[in-house]
Amino acid sequence: MTIAEMVELLVGGLAIGCIYSLIALGLSIIIRATGVLNFAQGEVVMLGAMFGLATYRLVPLPFPALFVAGALFAGVMAVIIELLIYRTLRVRRVPMVNIVISTIAMSILLQNGAQLVWGSEPIAYPRLFALEGLQLGPVRVAPQLVWIVVLALGMMLALQLFLRFTRAGLSVQAVAQDPEAAQLMGINLTRAVASTYGIAGILGGAAGVLLGSMFYASFNMGFLPGIKAFVAATLGGLGSIGGAMLGGIVFGLIETFTATSISTAYKDAVGMVLLIVILLVLPQGFAGAMRRGR
Amino acid sequence: MSEPVARVSPFAIAALLAGLLALLTLPLFLGKYHLHIVSSAMIFSIAAVALQLLLGFTGLLSLGQAAFLGVGAYTSGLLATGLKLPFELTIVAAGLLSGLSSLILVPILRLKGTYLGVATLGFTIIVHLVILNEEWLTHGSLGLMGIPRPSIGPWLLRSPAAAYYLYLSILGAACFVAYRLVIGRFGRALSAIMLNEDAAQASGINVTLYKAQAFVVSAVITGIAGALYAHHTQYLNPNDFSLWRSIEILLMVSVGGIGSIGGAVIGAFVVMLLPEALRFAAEYRMLIFALLLIVLMGLGQNGIAGLCVSAARAVSRRASFDPGRLERRELAE
Repeated sequence: MTIAEMVELLVGGLAIGCIYSLIALGLSIIIRATGVLNFAQGEVVMLGAMFGLATYRLVPLPFPALFVAGALFAGVMAVIIELLIYRTLRVRRVPMVNIVISTIAMSILLQNGAQLVWGSEPIAYPRLFALEGLQLGPVRVAPQLVWIVVLALGMMLALQLFLRFTRAGLSVQAVAQDPEAAQLMGINLTRAVASTYGIAGILGGAAGVLLGSMFYASFNMGFLPGIKAFVAATLGGLGSIGGAMLGGIVFGLIETFTATSISTAYKDAVGMVLLIVILLVLPQGFAGAMRRGR
Repeated sequence: MSEPVARVSPFAIAALLAGLLALLTLPLFLGKYHLHIVSSAMIFSIAAVALQLLLGFTGLLSLGQAAFLGVGAYTSGLLATGLKLPFELTIVAAGLLSGLSSLILVPILRLKGTYLGVATLGFTIIVHLVILNEEWLTHGSLGLMGIPRPSIGPWLLRSPAAAYYLYLSILGAACFVAYRLVIGRFGRALSAIMLNEDAAQASGINVTLYKAQAFVVSAVITGIAGALYAHHTQYLNPNDFSLWRSIEILLMVSVGGIGSIGGAVIGAFVVMLLPEALRFAAEYRMLIFALLLIVLMGLGQNGIAGLCVSAARAVSRRASFDPGRLERRELAE
């Protein structure tokens, strides 16, 4: 492998890793705020991809606009689902397991609903990018990958700014730390949890548009990336924001390099073996190791 | 104040007997197709009971059950088609190999909660990919065909009803084994681990050993269920053992009620048969299934078993009105 090829692979792995990071971030902030493992996060990704596509068919906007549209729609859907279903369950004080199982039900519901609306065939995304690569010295990089990395990193930066500097973001953080104390301080719990799901939805939807533009959109496109993001979030340490970002990118890089250097068929398996080995050494993921190191 | 444990409610006994009678006479009423579906549900009940042992009685979340099911199914299927071994041998081999494969995972049992769930999920994905890609062994995505029906000694169980009774008796045996394990010393150790691992360790329970034993037993039972599945459907496809299958088994246990062996069986029947029963709704059936699932979870009970328990309690409370009861409750509080 030449250096140039290495760099190209690196960019590809980074792009797919950034997508996993976005989904994993959504999973992680939901776990942090509510303790719920959201199995329907992958389906939110699918909704983002589908809506980005629908927007393009309505008005052929440029890619960043589609990205925003898909993300916002997925965010709105996530908030609706949270207020309609998960909140109802929480208010009824059902055990946590019941909420997790209902997210599995939600995943079935959204997949089958999407199949009814958009059909079972994968739908190709329109060609939004120039095909010829950007030539940077000896390295040739597809503009699409650059866009993906830039948009995903921008999204993560926006998330950090939101969590740190806005009232809504701070209340999300407070609720994640201690829901009861946050409520005593006058934070509206319902609103904070709903905005957590909203943010997770926006991140997932954004990932959906990026993923769709790389491959295609289909009713079940979210399941596997959702599971992989779940693995990435675990690698990073469940509930840790930095961990989710790092976990996603590491997982994307591992996957890409295994696919080219070891075996395409076993690329997911190698990722999983590494996952198990890493969890054996660091039972709480990267974040656990960082906490211990401190 | 909790009621004494030894007292089994007459409703539970009545329900158990009615259920048993229904299961025993079922082949008389069902056509071939429906008997096939019910038999599959029975086989998955065995797998659900095995997961119940982990989730409901040890507090271990395993998403690796599909892998054990797959190891068992392919072991039995390959031995039966390749080496023409008899059913009694292949099913034992399936249980053994599945149990052996679970030994690889024993080191990860020290992971907690969701982390263990993710690690076992990884195992399912690995095994699925091996089944899919090692074509020389498993025939890959073509699937494994021509697996013979189950047989006992010289008798090939050609009639679906005979096979049904075989599955029923193995399910009965699995429930019995699970029940014996759970009520005894072993089960008490497991529930101590589930309640508080550190406290269990401090009380001299070898946490790692007990967890590993529960895990291996569960894998052996699941492997046997896999073998039955192979001989029942007579055709295996790698996608029968994807991650989704693990999630499905998890659904069975939580629909039925976590911590109840009977619940696992009920849950497996509901998860397997409800989509069949909803066939009239055509493409809407999974939507309805999911909605029903959400409603069940929203009732806030521990699955169907929890629902039955509180219903039976409400009925018996009304039936046996006891004026002293209220005062006693006040005293207790």
